Amino acid sequence: MNRYVKDLLLKLWCGISGIMVLSTLSFIIIYIFMKGFSSINLDFIIGAPKGVPIGSEGGIYPAIIGSVYLMIIACVFATVLAISTAVYLELYCKNEKLLKIMHLVIHCTAGIPSIILGMFGYTFLVLRLGLGRSLMAGGITLGIMIFPFIEIRVEKILNEMDKNIVYASYALGLPKSYTFLKLLLPIYKRDIISTVLLAGGFAIGAAAPIILTAAVMYAPVPRTVLAPVMALPYHLYILIGEGISVENAYGTAFVLIVLLLTMNILPILNSLSRGGE
Amino acid sequence: MYKIIEKIFSPIIRLLALCSVLILFLIIAFILKESLVIFKEVPILQFLLGRSWRPVSNTPTFSILPIILASMYVSVTAIVIALPIGIGCAMFISFFIGDVSREVLKSIINILAGIPSVVYGLIGLLVIVKYFEVRFSLVAGESVLAGGILLAIMILPYIINTCSESMIEIKKKYMATSDVLGVSKLYMISHLVLPAVSKAIIASTVLALGRAMGETMAVMMVIGNAPIMPKLLGKAQTIPSLIALEMGAAYVGSLHYHGLFAAGFVLMILLLLINIILYYIRRNISY
Amino acid sequence: MGIISIKNLSVSYGNIKILKNINMEINERKITAIIGPSGCGKSTLLKTINCMVEEETLSRVEGEILFKDNNIKEMTKEDIRKEIGLVFQNPTCFPFSIYKNMVYAQKYYGNTDKKKLKHMVEEKLKIAGLYDEVSNDLNKSALKLSGGQQQRLCIARALTVDPQVILLDEPCSALDVKNTKNIEEMLSKLSQDYTIIIVTHNLSQAKRIADYTAFILNGELVEYSDTETLFSNPKDKRTREYIEGIYG
Repeated sequence: MNRYVKDLLLKLWCGISGIMVLSTLSFIIIYIFMKGFSSINLDFIIGAPKGVPIGSEGGIYPAIIGSVYLMIIACVFATVLAISTAVYLELYCKNEKLLKIMHLVIHCTAGIPSIILGMFGYTFLVLRLGLGRSLMAGGITLGIMIFPFIEIRVEKILNEMDKNIVYASYALGLPKSYTFLKLLLPIYKRDIISTVLLAGGFAIGAAAPIILTAAVMYAPVPRTVLAPVMALPYHLYILIGEGISVENAYGTAFVLIVLLLTMNILPILNSLSRGGE
Repeated sequence: MYKIIEKIFSPIIRLLALCSVLILFLIIAFILKESLVIFKEVPILQFLLGRSWRPVSNTPTFSILPIILASMYVSVTAIVIALPIGIGCAMFISFFIGDVSREVLKSIINILAGIPSVVYGLIGLLVIVKYFEVRFSLVAGESVLAGGILLAIMILPYIINTCSESMIEIKKKYMATSDVLGVSKLYMISHLVLPAVSKAIIASTVLALGRAMGETMAVMMVIGNAPIMPKLLGKAQTIPSLIALEMGAAYVGSLHYHGLFAAGFVLMILLLLINIILYYIRRNISY
Repeated sequence: MGIISIKNLSVSYGNIKILKNINMEINERKITAIIGPSGCGKSTLLKTINCMVEEETLSRVEGEILFKDNNIKEMTKEDIRKEIGLVFQNPTCFPFSIYKNMVYAQKYYGNTDKKKLKHMVEEKLKIAGLYDEVSNDLNKSALKLSGGQQQRLCIARALTVDPQVILLDEPCSALDVKNTKNIEEMLSKLSQDYTIIIVTHNLSQAKRIADYTAFILNGELVEYSDTETLFSNPKDKRTREYIEGIYG
């Protein structure tokens, strides 16, 4: 085969792949927006699900609120854990071996499938700790899911900083806590918030961890953290899986995607506003 | 004030860091503990290699070979579809378009990675499965192939990201030298870039395999969920979908319940292995 | 007895010995210069004096350092560093305003009285010779200052915790002649109230400002005496070779 043909084939390969990915992408986004936009209205967003079977009519308000609550609990849980771990690994841990082991463990935690996390949440949080199917159990399970995502990114942020700035703070006789809280946190606040928002996006869209730990077909807006909740991804699954309403499933998917895109765009706005400073 | 904070800060940080590591072991321990019960009734080999999963019949059988095989079948199908497209697309965005459009494209691809799997499942069911039914006049379009195609779309962002990252590194490093030598861009791609990123390609494959094996919702919605030996155009069931579907109905403490945990344990071990391999491949990537 | 006594000090990273058996007395309210070729361990010596080496993985310190007759191992790292400040080779201004850089450490000690803080900031910036240049815009980001101004801000910031000793690690290596002169003049003034140890690869700088000079080669303290003697009449052959420019 001469070089000309080879080059052409390579070009074709890249071009066709590029076009395939781009068209799939546009198809998915356009599909959801076209189908979804026509099936939502104000009542759908602010109303409770109605009809027999439930969800065939009415809205998804409790699911939106339930999802947001779940995400908040997950983010708080994961962020506290992730930042502490990242700070420990970057500022405290001086033992290379321990560092490597902890990185491997976090990496493995990141690779555990969400359904296994759901099982763990079910047997440990729901049954053993007696939380029941609840906002709390689901939130923590989702938190475990997004914890490695946040940890890895926060650690990278701290790892790429100028170490001399930290040492300069130490050289003033200031301890690590003060250096972190008053120097590093203010500097990297925006980056950390962006990371948490992205992770929150993953949490809000995940159905597998909450099937067993939190979500139910119908529940009002929860009043306590021990109440079961409705959640958008689970509601969507039920609507389509049980064949209740394709129309409302599109609407739910649309709302979910809009929520997610908002959370994806916020960090970008966040960094743009810094650029203008 | 800050002196008091300093006194409690370090112990809290250490404790939370310890907790975060313990989570993994807690997960492994609980899943293992709940699975052990089943092996008193069903020998491990029979559980792994038998062919029938009938947890609620009068003479229940617990064997997950078809389910393990289906998990792998659908994942491998997905990778076979996604890998060539992913590598091609990675080359496309690394070499054939400008910096600005690359950034735009990458952030769009990241959004694609963030779309929830139920939404993929919805599209899979209403587009791919329906197309199969109409085009091939199948009774039910739910199949391993449908799952594979859907999963391929879902893992594409991981492959594209991992590969293009490496390719751009290489490009930055060698483009100038390569230009000086007067070789064409395409010659450089096929003779320099592709061999150099082979490790990244392997890493992306392993990463994608992990994602595909663990995917629950999307696969569950398009694969038909029948625990039989998988065929490309037939229904099948994967371990995650088995758990998601049956766990809620399994009576806590029953053999069924423990059997599902054992299936989960098998999946977890597979994924831990995949991730440890991935960890070491990634550590060895350097240019 | 000096303010700092270094006794049989050895420092190693992993298996590599950086400093071998150093014995030194640092005199109070004088400028001591440490000279030597790059990689000889002079920066490590500075970092050991205020415990900064302990922040680095794999470092091991043997021997002892006494600060005013107290073994520094028995003091907390924070206390040592408050008494013995360190200024780095490259300016390490925090990405905050000049004012915030200056009050950063004071806030830790609970000083929130605005008037006092303002007075303190003014005083320290004046000592560092920076006040006239920045007085009308203390809220400007420190990163917008020139390199020389940033380095003087770092010195002023080191003074805000009232240390007794100031360690400087090649503070002028990134600066031009004019800024170097500024900083040298300031150091001479500072030595009336503070003990200063400065690491430098610039021999004429050591000659110009230091009262005492130590020469380190390959982790060993070769010679240590008052500056004039060391430069005009070195006892060790290696010192002579170094100041005549043989090691470069």
